[in-house]
Amino acid sequence: MEENNIEVKRLKKIYHEASVEVMAVDDVSFDVKSSEVVAVMGPSGSGKTTLLSIMGCILRPTSGEVIIKGIKTHELDERSLPEIRNKYIGFIFQAFNLFPALTALENVEVSLNLKGIKGKKAKEEARQLLERVGLKDRVDFLPMDLSGGQKQRVSIARALANKPSIILADEPTGNLDSKTGHSVIELLRDLSIKEKSSVVIVTHDSRIMDMSDRVLYLEDGRLKNGVNAKKG
Amino acid sequence: MVSIARKNLFHDKIRFIITLIGVTFSVVLIFAQVGIYLGFMQNASVIIDNTDADIWITSKNTPNFDWAQAFPETKINLARETKGVLHAEKFILAWGVMKRKEGGTEQVEIIGYNPNSGMGGPWNMMEGKASDVKGGKHIIMDESAEKKIGNFYIGDEREVMNQKVKVIGRTTGIKSFTTAPFIFTSYDTAKSLASYIAQDNTVFILVKTDPAEDVHEIVQRLKERLKGVDVYTSRQFSNRTRWYWTVETGMGMGFLMTAFMGFAIGIVIVGQTIYTSTIEHLREYGTLKAIGANNLFIYKIIFEQAIVNAVIGYIAGFVITQFLIKGYEKTGLAMIIPNYLIVTVFFLTILMCVFASFISIRKATKIDPAIVFKV
Repeated sequence: MEENNIEVKRLKKIYHEASVEVMAVDDVSFDVKSSEVVAVMGPSGSGKTTLLSIMGCILRPTSGEVIIKGIKTHELDERSLPEIRNKYIGFIFQAFNLFPALTALENVEVSLNLKGIKGKKAKEEARQLLERVGLKDRVDFLPMDLSGGQKQRVSIARALANKPSIILADEPTGNLDSKTGHSVIELLRDLSIKEKSSVVIVTHDSRIMDMSDRVLYLEDGRLKNGVNAKKG
Repeated sequence: MVSIARKNLFHDKIRFIITLIGVTFSVVLIFAQVGIYLGFMQNASVIIDNTDADIWITSKNTPNFDWAQAFPETKINLARETKGVLHAEKFILAWGVMKRKEGGTEQVEIIGYNPNSGMGGPWNMMEGKASDVKGGKHIIMDESAEKKIGNFYIGDEREVMNQKVKVIGRTTGIKSFTTAPFIFTSYDTAKSLASYIAQDNTVFILVKTDPAEDVHEIVQRLKERLKGVDVYTSRQFSNRTRWYWTVETGMGMGFLMTAFMGFAIGIVIVGQTIYTSTIEHLREYGTLKAIGANNLFIYKIIFEQAIVNAVIGYIAGFVITQFLIKGYEKTGLAMIIPNYLIVTVFFLTILMCVFASFISIRKATKIDPAIVFKV
């Protein structure tokens, strides 16, 4: 039986805007197994990114539980969360969020440095990660000299630097053409199988549905019909 | 380890240069203000600091060396009889007027010393000897006086207080705080030139003490025996003179304020540029946090930027200051940058830049984490 890398239980997130309460995530529960790719879909403002932020220990839930590899992250204090992110989670962003002053190699190296890997070892590992995402000949390029697809591959290599159990991707194909977007998702799929990682992709891109093991529909902060929508 | 701080700094060259200009400007301003102040202060007490006396006896309430008043010279006998005093000598500082060759006059400070002991006499002799002044109405002047009274040569005759004197020596680097040239001469000649000082008066009594005795105890004994005068150790009188020009005239406050402004300008410029840089890199800091960096990691980046700015700006400022010193010396004034000032300004520059980054630190650590998901 596949183990759960992440479990979300009765999750709620309420924002207070002026005197109005906005329920961004409302009683959401699901889990993601290792090597599983889950797409989270839904209209703008449905709470997808908020859900991803809470799963990634960037935002605190108002109530509910987020359990990563058996660790109840909602019970941890603020100072412990960077370590959880560093150890278990890899992020991929729509806007890539690469450091413009650093080369592709250095962008990946920073992530390794944060894990405590430094010097030649970090450089060598970063080089190998970039090789795995097909950027062997772009290691010394600055982000401004890379195409959108290449930037996203650097972003993926960076996310893989800590050998994460969970990869959280926010609209990873949002800034890419369909062919490049397809290859990026395929790459994520392959990596999830090889690394036994769980991949959660927040997207508007309906083509990702076909490449996911499961699709969750979110509307007004709630999972549609309260159930997980299964692929096929 | 990848230095995000240095990479960011060198990536945005224009901002980096603007910051460096700010730091360099501050460093130069601080060095210049403190250096000029120290130069003035060195001149203010230059005679006291270079006279081989342990104790100075002055008229009551003499505020500084240049404004000393005369008092009865009979006090010297009491001083000589005091326990711990090896010997005591009369010494004169008197204001006078020298005629310029080209016409007109120039105020001078006449220094009258005992040419036999040489105590209170000139040093840094380029030509002649301090003891040569005893042969007649002879004077020794510093080469810096040429700016005021025109070129002079050994053997020249000049007129001081309507009396002819002969130049028999030349010194270097002895300038007064008041910018009036010093004229060194024998005590007797000084008395005759400054005839407004009563015959039985002197301006200072210089005391050499027994090194086996505590100078402060001798000062106390002299204070008890000599009425109507003040008694200071050399260090005390030097400090009193410097204190007068620094505090009582407000001059020191002026220099201090300008030096402080340099520091403040540095904080504002560095603070502003680092803050703008932080705002522009907020998403990057957010990303760092998302991928597992803690606040300490972010602090290190911002502080490293501040320290790199400080070190490079300081080096540039120090080099420029060296040129300024040369240029300033050509005006006949001194800018003194002692080693302790070099070290102090270095740490001050680091402090300035680190302090300037605190606002940015606050901003960077309060990032809305959701920023990483915004497009």
